[in-house]
Amino acid sequence: MWAIVRSELRQRRWSLVWWSLGIAVFVGLDVLLYITVKDDAAQLNQALSHLPVALRALFSDGADLLSPTGFLSARIYYLLLPLLLTILSIGLGTSLIGKEEKQGTIELLLARPVSRTRLLIGKVIAGLAMIVCVGLVATVVAVVSVHPAGLAVSRRDIALTTLASVLLSTLFGAVAFLLCALGRPWRNAATGVAALVAFASYLIASLESLVDWLKWPATLSPYHYYHPNDLLGGASGGKVMLAYLLGIVVLGIAAWIGFRRRDLDAN
Amino acid sequence: MKPTSPAIEITKLTKQYRGEKTPALRAVSLAVQPGEVYGFLGPNGAGKSTTIRCLLNFLQPTGGSARILGQDSVRESVAVKRSVGYLAGDVALYPRMTGQQFLDYMAALQPIKRPGYARALIRAFKAELSRPIGELSKGNRQKIGILQAFMHEPAVLILDEPTSGLDPLMQEVFFGLVRDSQARGASLFISSHNLSEVRRMCDRIGFIRDGRLVTEMTLADLTRSAAHTFDILFAESAPLDALRRLKNVTVTAGATPQQATIRVKGELAPFFGVLARATIIQFEQREVDLEEEFLRLYGKEKQ
Repeated sequence: MWAIVRSELRQRRWSLVWWSLGIAVFVGLDVLLYITVKDDAAQLNQALSHLPVALRALFSDGADLLSPTGFLSARIYYLLLPLLLTILSIGLGTSLIGKEEKQGTIELLLARPVSRTRLLIGKVIAGLAMIVCVGLVATVVAVVSVHPAGLAVSRRDIALTTLASVLLSTLFGAVAFLLCALGRPWRNAATGVAALVAFASYLIASLESLVDWLKWPATLSPYHYYHPNDLLGGASGGKVMLAYLLGIVVLGIAAWIGFRRRDLDAN
Repeated sequence: MKPTSPAIEITKLTKQYRGEKTPALRAVSLAVQPGEVYGFLGPNGAGKSTTIRCLLNFLQPTGGSARILGQDSVRESVAVKRSVGYLAGDVALYPRMTGQQFLDYMAALQPIKRPGYARALIRAFKAELSRPIGELSKGNRQKIGILQAFMHEPAVLILDEPTSGLDPLMQEVFFGLVRDSQARGASLFISSHNLSEVRRMCDRIGFIRDGRLVTEMTLADLTRSAAHTFDILFAESAPLDALRRLKNVTVTAGATPQQATIRVKGELAPFFGVLARATIIQFEQREVDLEEEFLRLYGKEKQ
């Protein structure tokens, strides 16, 4: 199993490097952007307050877009970081098992004394390690740069908010992973369905405050429970993160049940 | 495992794919004895790969069972694979890994008993291990596929079209590897649609068609049941009429009245009886055409 983890990480090492670099640049530049806007915060806030509420709701869960927490939420944690991590996570979810099966290389692994369960666990560990690594880079860059940028947000709150973002994104990746573990024809729809679930989840949760009939469906959306503005302000968010984790575990178990005994596709 | 139990034992193995009307495998039963090389022949789509994929637990049989070295291929799949080497039909490898990285990965999943043996195999096949697999030709990829199947010296080898893509020289190296593996006691189950390559390797042959095992025979039986063809040059006119009166003999007149090509199926004595009364200048026997025999078994005469 560890051989699978090592090999998977080795094969993806350049992808990991580029993702880490990209996330580091994105988080670092966005945090440092605060230096240029903080002095004009009051003015900018007034200008932003004229934007349609619906538009503002799409970018942040906070009212004040230029407070330290509001700025970080609007610029990084509400939309763009989860979006980037979701792209990474769905990519991993579809390729870890799906690509091996599509190419036929999965037979090389399962012709060795490796159970399907161990293969699945090895792949999951490698995928999670990738996401966690990119999440850690995001955390470290944010933690290092917030204070020089003049953003008064605690390191602990930044770490927890990034963790929530990582968990939320992994949840969508787990949807893709489950669909791929079920084999054809589900595998062919995995990227599309997982991306659709993620996007719909975000859109419904963002617009629920404006559209009454979205209020109930929004409660089914994982995004509905994701409040980076509050988390950055010191809210615990433990239950929500636990629920995300539970969701990931449930999807993982479903993937295992689906994969354990089914026919492998012929390549 | 009991010492007498077969290396591979397939009992009424049936596979019905979901959504398909006809089963891909219909109650196939066969056994491969320890140290035996079994050729599994059939046209494309006959069920060869399905049988193999059931043996490896890539497919779940819908009926019957398969045992390898006495262990159930579904319930004890991991234990089974400790003793198995497998080469897929159109072997898929990791294109971005080099051959060496790939073999190291496979060895990490299933340790090599004797590194010296693996090195000797690499030398024998002149395998290109330093370049990414994606840059290699089909033949060179096939060599790496063969290496990963044999390098841990498994007791049972399951090989799907193993010589596909190999040049004639490498085919010879492969036939040698099969003989050596058999000599160390391994059992081999080799699927192929090419009878001439199977006859180079196998002790016994099973023919599969439309998911059914049509017949099994030893190579010696197959050769015996096959037709013999002779090219004869007589001193005088060929005794065509006398030969044509014989049963199971087909006579084709040659370019001159002295020449004839005669095809005899089964008993040869009456044929030689006629020849004994003639004066023969030249007598040549053509190689037994197993390919033709194979096609006959499939009900499709070459003509």
